[in-house]
Amino acid sequence: MKTKFLIQAGIIAAIYAVLTIILAPFSYGPMQIRVSEALTILPYFTPAAIPGLFIGCLVSNYISPYGVIDMICGSGATLIAAAGSYMLRSKPVLVPLPPVVANAVIIGLMLHYAYGVPMNLFLIMAWIGLGELIACYVIGYPLLRYLKKYKRIFE
Amino acid sequence: MIRDITLGQYYPGDSWVHKLDPRTKIIGTFVYLIALFLVKDFWGFLIAVTGILMVVAISRVPLSFILKGLKPVFIIILFTFFINMFMTKGEVLIGWKFLVITKEGLYNAFFMGIRLVLLIIGSSILTLATKPIKLTDGIESLLGPLKKIGVPAHELAMMMTIALRFIPTLLEETDKIMKAQMARGADFESGNIFKRAKSLIPLLIPLFISAFRIAQDLAMAMEARCYSGGENRTRMTAMTYEKRDILATLGLIAFVATILLERILI
Amino acid sequence: MSIQVRDLTHIYSEGLPYESVALKDVSFSIEDGEFVGVIGHTGSGKSTMIQHLNGLLKPRSGSITIGDVDITKGNVLMRDIRRRIGLVFQYPEYQLFEETVHRDVAFGPTNLGLTKEEVDQRVIEAINLVGLDYDEIGERSPFELSGGQKRRVAIAGVIAMKPEVLILDEPTAGLDPKAHKDVLEMIKKIHETQKNITILVSHNMNDIAKLVDKVLVMEKGRIAMEGTPRQVFSQAQKLKKMGLALPQASDMMNKLRNRGFDIKEGILTNDEAFVELVRILKPDIKG
Repeated sequence: MKTKFLIQAGIIAAIYAVLTIILAPFSYGPMQIRVSEALTILPYFTPAAIPGLFIGCLVSNYISPYGVIDMICGSGATLIAAAGSYMLRSKPVLVPLPPVVANAVIIGLMLHYAYGVPMNLFLIMAWIGLGELIACYVIGYPLLRYLKKYKRIFE
Repeated sequence: MIRDITLGQYYPGDSWVHKLDPRTKIIGTFVYLIALFLVKDFWGFLIAVTGILMVVAISRVPLSFILKGLKPVFIIILFTFFINMFMTKGEVLIGWKFLVITKEGLYNAFFMGIRLVLLIIGSSILTLATKPIKLTDGIESLLGPLKKIGVPAHELAMMMTIALRFIPTLLEETDKIMKAQMARGADFESGNIFKRAKSLIPLLIPLFISAFRIAQDLAMAMEARCYSGGENRTRMTAMTYEKRDILATLGLIAFVATILLERILI
Repeated sequence: MSIQVRDLTHIYSEGLPYESVALKDVSFSIEDGEFVGVIGHTGSGKSTMIQHLNGLLKPRSGSITIGDVDITKGNVLMRDIRRRIGLVFQYPEYQLFEETVHRDVAFGPTNLGLTKEEVDQRVIEAINLVGLDYDEIGERSPFELSGGQKRRVAIAGVIAMKPEVLILDEPTAGLDPKAHKDVLEMIKKIHETQKNITILVSHNMNDIAKLVDKVLVMEKGRIAMEGTPRQVFSQAQKLKKMGLALPQASDMMNKLRNRGFDIKEGILTNDEAFVELVRILKPDIKG
């Protein structure tokens, strides 16, 4: 694997973690509107974002008090989402969509079965989905449009 | 402001638990988590609590410190507790308008609540007593056998190492950028969600540019030192299994056995 | 408008195992229109102190009175403070983010709530004040510019806010000699035209000696010395103990004096040194 790819991934992971840490109160509450979720648009620019976001999520959860289950499920969801975003990169509007779906489904399942939240499964998923929708589309999509002008930093 | 945030939850020490091979600890944590889901009643939890408290004691991490780390999650725990208490259907104990507490609800609330707390404490021990870099080494090693089915263990570990190495650097950069923009009147704190989202652009763009500039420098540095991937790479301090790892594993097996026995017999 | 700082104390990470005292009972005052230089070893508290002056940091105790407002009191709006105190950080070009130079410089004044016309006016003024040609670079991307130009655009971004106090932290760091000289002259010009208080934090003693009215020497979070450049730089031994250098000219003149030459005290700049050397070597030539 090319060194540059590795490093880009590592740096993206670091940015994700840093944004989660800095905006901490927002990031770990029940709504979990993670500003770093806006970074899920990065696969549009480089495939290094797929492992990058995955590891970023891993590291952020490492620091969070939720523990290993969150680490696995959350990061897994991020990985799947990033791959999805990468595949949809020809249509920028759709790029923020995979994270919304992936997180809603996977985290929803996790909350219901692992944490035992006795709400209707679909309600949980909708709740998570809403938080992701805000992070990914309200913050992420404009970020995507903006970063497009600086595309060259990804070379 | 940012300087006050400690990265990760590593609590320095040189207890037995700290010295264990990271692989032992990772596997141990996973086994513990799975075991917790095998517990079906409060007696099982008693065994789990005993086990985890023993580990905490050996690690010499103050229990108060661990419990303090639960504070941010406290809301979630409370949330889970109350949701379970009020929304489980069953034999009604107390009722008041539509807030009904059922026997099942009470049971579930405590059960789920305790399990959640134990889950969190258990995984906390892993991160409290293991340096992030050692953890990465452990993960790389454990994922090693999966290389055969295409899992790029070394590369993943390298990405993680780079990420960990640069988090403090980028935290500083972000701090500087935030302050520079605030000195120009930027406001990251007030306003509705849309306004706040927009206000992040003067933070994110310079951060990205800085981060990728650092990435380029690092790429040059690594290549100048002939880094060429994971084949035949050696490390400076090798991970070895010691006597204490064997003892820890035996303890783990005993723990799981006890949990299973309890479940079968009681 | 003057600045009075009394017993400023700041502790990082208070209560945690790695707490550190960044500032201890720092007191000084700056008069209207003064040009002040702040020098000190890395870690002496310079950056911490200047961040207090524009409200980015709040002290544990002490007071900072700017004009007639004590900015450490709880009811002061940060926005009002930053309107009046401009702070240019080290390597300010890293704060650039907009698509064009104009828009980036406009960021500051826009945040102050001015009208579009006022903002545009200020942008053009500021860019000219830093010695750049607005017509040439106004609509270009800041990332296309050279290092020195970027630096100036960043400084323009702060000047456009028309602060009553301008604080610059190592404005010449990382610049080549020509850019260094240009930026320094630019700062001097701005100070003279705007007639505001200028505070310059620097490691470069030559710059300090050339420009400032008063020097504050910081060490380990305290003000170790205070005075005019001539007063401060005449105490070579004390400065040396703190790990600080002298302006090149002073240093050389001291060395010559120690070798027996009858050099007068208090030389600060190369020009003064030249005149003195001419006096020593060719006493019949009028200086």
